[in-house]
Amino acid sequence: MMDGIYEGITTALTTYNIMMVAIGCFAGTFIGMLPGLGPISAIALMIPITYGMDPSSGLILIAGVYYGAIFGGSTSSILINAPGVAGTVATSFDGYPMAKKGYAGKALAIAAYSSFSGGTIAAIFLLFAAPALAKVSLSFQSSDYFALMVLGLTAVAAFAGKGKFLKAAIMTIFGLMLATVGTDADSGVSRYTFGNLNLIDGISFLLLAMAAFALSEALMNIIENKKMSKEEREALNKDIGNLKVTKEEVKEMVPVIGRSSILGFFVGVLPGAGATIASFLAYGMERSLASAKEKLKFGKGSIKGLAAPESANNAACSGSFVPLLTLGIPGSGTTAVILGALISYGIQPGPTMYTEQPALFWSVIISMYVGNLVLLILNLPLIPYIAKLLAMPKQILTPLVIFFSLIGVYLVTFNTFDIFMMIGFAVVAVGLRLIDYPMAPMILGFILGGMMENNLRRALTISDGSINFLWERPITASILVVTIIMLISPLISQFFSAKIIEEDR
Amino acid sequence: MTKTRAGSLFFLAFSALYLYQSYNIHLLPGSHYDAMTARTFPYYLGIIGIIISGLMLLLTYIKLDMNDMFDWENLRTFDFKKGFYFILAMIFYGYTIRTLGFIISTIIFLIIGFKILESKSWKVILLTSFGVSIVFWFLLTQILGVYIEQGMIFDYFLGVQT
Repeated sequence: MMDGIYEGITTALTTYNIMMVAIGCFAGTFIGMLPGLGPISAIALMIPITYGMDPSSGLILIAGVYYGAIFGGSTSSILINAPGVAGTVATSFDGYPMAKKGYAGKALAIAAYSSFSGGTIAAIFLLFAAPALAKVSLSFQSSDYFALMVLGLTAVAAFAGKGKFLKAAIMTIFGLMLATVGTDADSGVSRYTFGNLNLIDGISFLLLAMAAFALSEALMNIIENKKMSKEEREALNKDIGNLKVTKEEVKEMVPVIGRSSILGFFVGVLPGAGATIASFLAYGMERSLASAKEKLKFGKGSIKGLAAPESANNAACSGSFVPLLTLGIPGSGTTAVILGALISYGIQPGPTMYTEQPALFWSVIISMYVGNLVLLILNLPLIPYIAKLLAMPKQILTPLVIFFSLIGVYLVTFNTFDIFMMIGFAVVAVGLRLIDYPMAPMILGFILGGMMENNLRRALTISDGSINFLWERPITASILVVTIIMLISPLISQFFSAKIIEEDR
Repeated sequence: MTKTRAGSLFFLAFSALYLYQSYNIHLLPGSHYDAMTARTFPYYLGIIGIIISGLMLLLTYIKLDMNDMFDWENLRTFDFKKGFYFILAMIFYGYTIRTLGFIISTIIFLIIGFKILESKSWKVILLTSFGVSIVFWFLLTQILGVYIEQGMIFDYFLGVQT
């Protein structure tokens, strides 16, 4: 392990890779700040640039973009109450009131320190959790992987939010369906290509991610026609004030950061959960732990209320890398896109990555830490200037985002058919967004589709075509039991909440 | 009409079509001895898709959620026309990138895009569109070493470089 860590450090700390983290953090912060554009779009937009790099530098850049996007989301949450990312909605609860009181600089500094600490604690956890899980997962077989993928996809639907379970489930199935387009890896037979040669290789994940996120988000921005209010424009041009945090405030933050980071990391490890749920849970936890007097401060600029979601969402980001790096199974839309990027570099993450490519495995983990450091040292002092970029008119920014999305996909294949297919998918995605169908489960289903089918085929072949493999191995059976519990839990909770309402009456 | 119902109808139709098309997947001779053929996974996906979307549709009839209704008032404030124009501009870009070449088509696309979104200053429009296209082209071809064809129009007038 120590050799691996050493190799990882030497890879991550080369001048070139440090520069990549810095560029990634900066680009991610800027994209994450733009309302409507989240980390998935930010990563998708950067992937074409990474194709020319070696995998570790590419992945390091992507990790930087991921952290930057989350940090950028916090900045727009605090300054203009417009979270660019769902994971930073809870940040606006106390961050925005603080900024309104004239302490925008302090709020941004608290957010940055909490993010940094959350990321650091989670990176330490990751250092131990990832190899441990990688070792365990070496004993996994196809049936276990198949069950894990079913669990991951079910969890995404189960955590989708109240009343959205079936919507997320059908979007996952939609993603799985799209993954079957192209040549079947086993038999070489074409499926759903309708005789079109452009579809023989299937739909590119980058194309789908770009269409479903960056392009459709930009189109939604155009359609919704929301203009920045005068108040928001003024807030961006206003001086953000002092970035200093007092000793008393630090004392208040420390225990909150500790608790929220641990909670955030474990929520991040869970498939389907991620930064949004982690930040809300941490906020809720701190509010319930606070004294009656402190409780009143929540929602009005409480330091605890700001530090909790910020440390939790960053810790969850690191946590979400655990299943990705060790099992090769992403637990969220963002890690699904990262997995897609890894596969296109020719790397299949999983337990063997830890043993066969230790430099890559560890450099990603180390660079996450470096990313946090860069955010603190470089981004925080630059925030007043980056925030000014937000004031750049949308009329200029939106066409540029669309241009980068289109050209990013075109430059990979130089096939104009991809541009047209992307436009088609973006139109469908806009339609689905208008009727509140979530996009992340679709991309997760799409990325896992091929792997899921392969593992199912292998498991069925080993068991001679019988479905006994589902309950013959204890690991497979236990994972499937958890999946079933997850499937029926929304129904149970709905039943109980209905009962409570009845009793209250 | 609720949003869920509209979506479930779309997915029900899509899943049914998907399932129907799964029968058109060509099977190799002897593949019926295999534990799983190229048709198996899509077949079950189609069935699961029909079950879930059917269930969603059914639930909208059992319990009507008023919060899920289409907000026509809000939708009327949306500028679908601009979105449609942008889609046309993107299609135009797709058709011209190989004929007019990267730089010219990108400049035209960006100018159209800025104008659709009602940018007023021609100075900003021209500077941004020319600047982004040329700088990006320079970055790709001269620094990152990506080959971008010059465009058929140049091949026609200047002759194809071999």
